[in-house]
Amino acid sequence: MTDATANASARRTGSLLVPDARTRRRNAAEARFKIYGLAATLVGMVALVMLLISIFSSGTGAFFQTFLHIPVTLDAAVLDKSGNRDPAEMQKVTTIGYAKVLNASLQKVLDDKGMAVAGLTDKDVADMISKEAPAQIRNMVLANPALIGQTVDMTILANGRIDGYFKGRVSMESAQLDKNVSPRQLELADKMRAAGMLTTDFNWGFLTSGDSSDQRPESAGLGVAIIGSLYMMIVVLVLSLPIGVAASIYLEEFAPKNRWTDLIEVNIANLAAVPSIVFGILGLAVFINFAGLPQSAPIVGGLVLTLMTLPRIIIPARAALKAVPPSIRDAALGVGASKMQSVFDHVLPLAAPGILTGMIIGLAQALGETAPLLLIGMVAFVREFPGAPPQGFFDPASALPVQVYNWTQRSDPAFVERASGAVIVLLVFLLIMNAVAIILRRRFERRW
Amino acid sequence: MNDMRIAERDVETNESKISARKVQVYYGTNHALKDVDVDILDKTVTAFIGPSGCGKSTFLRCLNRMNDTVASARVEGTIKLDGENIYDAKVDPVQLRAKVGMVFQKPNPFPKSIYDNIAYGPKIHGLTRSKSELDGIVETSLKKAALWNEVKDRLDSPGTGLSGGQQQRLCIARAIATQPEVLLMDEPCSALDPIATAQVEELIDELRSQFSVVIVTHSMQQAARVSQRTAFFHLGNLVEYGETGQIFTNPKDPRTESYITGRIG
Repeated sequence: MTDATANASARRTGSLLVPDARTRRRNAAEARFKIYGLAATLVGMVALVMLLISIFSSGTGAFFQTFLHIPVTLDAAVLDKSGNRDPAEMQKVTTIGYAKVLNASLQKVLDDKGMAVAGLTDKDVADMISKEAPAQIRNMVLANPALIGQTVDMTILANGRIDGYFKGRVSMESAQLDKNVSPRQLELADKMRAAGMLTTDFNWGFLTSGDSSDQRPESAGLGVAIIGSLYMMIVVLVLSLPIGVAASIYLEEFAPKNRWTDLIEVNIANLAAVPSIVFGILGLAVFINFAGLPQSAPIVGGLVLTLMTLPRIIIPARAALKAVPPSIRDAALGVGASKMQSVFDHVLPLAAPGILTGMIIGLAQALGETAPLLLIGMVAFVREFPGAPPQGFFDPASALPVQVYNWTQRSDPAFVERASGAVIVLLVFLLIMNAVAIILRRRFERRW
Repeated sequence: MNDMRIAERDVETNESKISARKVQVYYGTNHALKDVDVDILDKTVTAFIGPSGCGKSTFLRCLNRMNDTVASARVEGTIKLDGENIYDAKVDPVQLRAKVGMVFQKPNPFPKSIYDNIAYGPKIHGLTRSKSELDGIVETSLKKAALWNEVKDRLDSPGTGLSGGQQQRLCIARAIATQPEVLLMDEPCSALDPIATAQVEELIDELRSQFSVVIVTHSMQQAARVSQRTAFFHLGNLVEYGETGQIFTNPKDPRTESYITGRIG
């Protein structure tokens, strides 16, 4: 008897058409596993959909804003007392002067149209205009002094509460409890809307203007944060792409395999897992306290994010290089290519899609990173736009995720809407970057 | 037995191209190749045969220093190409590999066009001065590799899109495009079907007029068909080396006889 026939007594019997108990158990286990997997996938999908619904339902409002359309008489007696249109003289008139002109114009329009609401003081009516509006008009006039004395049709921001009323955030009931807005003001707002003076339009200012103080959420925008994030991404890209790719090529292709390179490898893997706030502390100590770079500056943010991103780029880049079949290296060396020629002519082009994907995913992570930026002062209230590069890299700026963090801390509910809107903008940027990663990957892979 | 037909072509020269003396190869602590002494003749096909793991591929890779890429490998002894020790510290392996080309077991064309596959070697070695010269090299290399007629209309299509046998001939064309003096082939037909194998073998025979060809093979029939000289390796030792006819018909060592009659291996 050989081993091959020793188990003949254990041979299965019975028809193939009837599954035996053991087969039924195995099939049942497989079916259960499929259900678990499906359930897990569904939970993930539901969470994602809920996240998107919550963000979009509360955030889309930030892209629309209520504007007031009125003819404003730019009274020369208030705005340019000397009458000689001297820019230096005109600078002396503050926004208080412009507010006066603006309020008078609004009052006049309401009187003309007979829309006055009993019990509303002039101040109540003036409060319906955004506190930012006088500054807008002032900038317009200073840029073009010839406007003084004319009556100009203007589109100006309405107060955040009035805006909230039309978006459903403020109601007559809540207005009774709110000392910033009264039901009478809302009544007037309804009338003005019916008369076409108040409209809700797309809010370009949300994308182009800077942050605003607590009192004027209607004028708060992401402009400075977008520029700041853009500058930081430029710094991260310019620094981490060459450093990361060079380091991974060296470690993967040239470095001897010994204890030192093992140590470096372990450390890179560990660095990728270091909490990002630790890099913030490092940046604060090294770049700001030691190197004396300015706080809140995109250059410092970019440097810190570069440190954080480097290991996250090196690891996928090394994996991409490792995935290139060794036969390609042999082939290149076999025809007499030097090590460097074999790497740059053959290995790198094959690894490029993987390296690029890792790079863009690293950048996307850096774009969404908040914690290290808090520590280097980017959380500060920054209204002014940073200058053009290269000087702009050293000017204070904000960043998209920090702006979200900032706005969620403000008391006015209008900022909640703006924070969600900022999240949408951030998500759109991330989607664009991932799309770019996919397109680049496709294009490079199509070459072979 | 037609398969066992032994190449009847005489060795045309007795000039030694490569001479190896006391070659030892270690992979870490593993002594993979022991005391190998071989003289490889010019314009001759030399076959290395032996069971798996006997060291024949290792020795082949010593001849163009491809073992340098294996971190744990260590080579001792001398291997002289035209009287110059290729393991001399002053030798740049890049220059050596331009003289000693290699074809690998698995076809490994670059993922580039057929044209670029052939043109790469001449380009990096600066063998051509003009595009037309390069075109000439590509054409003659592909003709020598008996591939020209099949690919002349699609030189821009990827080399990886060819069939296995065509890819291997493309690799041979790529290796001869740098105009080497010695061509090393590491089981070039192991991934090919019999028809492609026959084409490659025919090709090897033609290449003999210009190069010294060294081929590692597991097929004793192939060794008998294409080579003039045969070396039998066993357990890291070079057991016997001599004219192919003598090795296959009248081996001196009992181990060689056991192997070619199928008793070990």
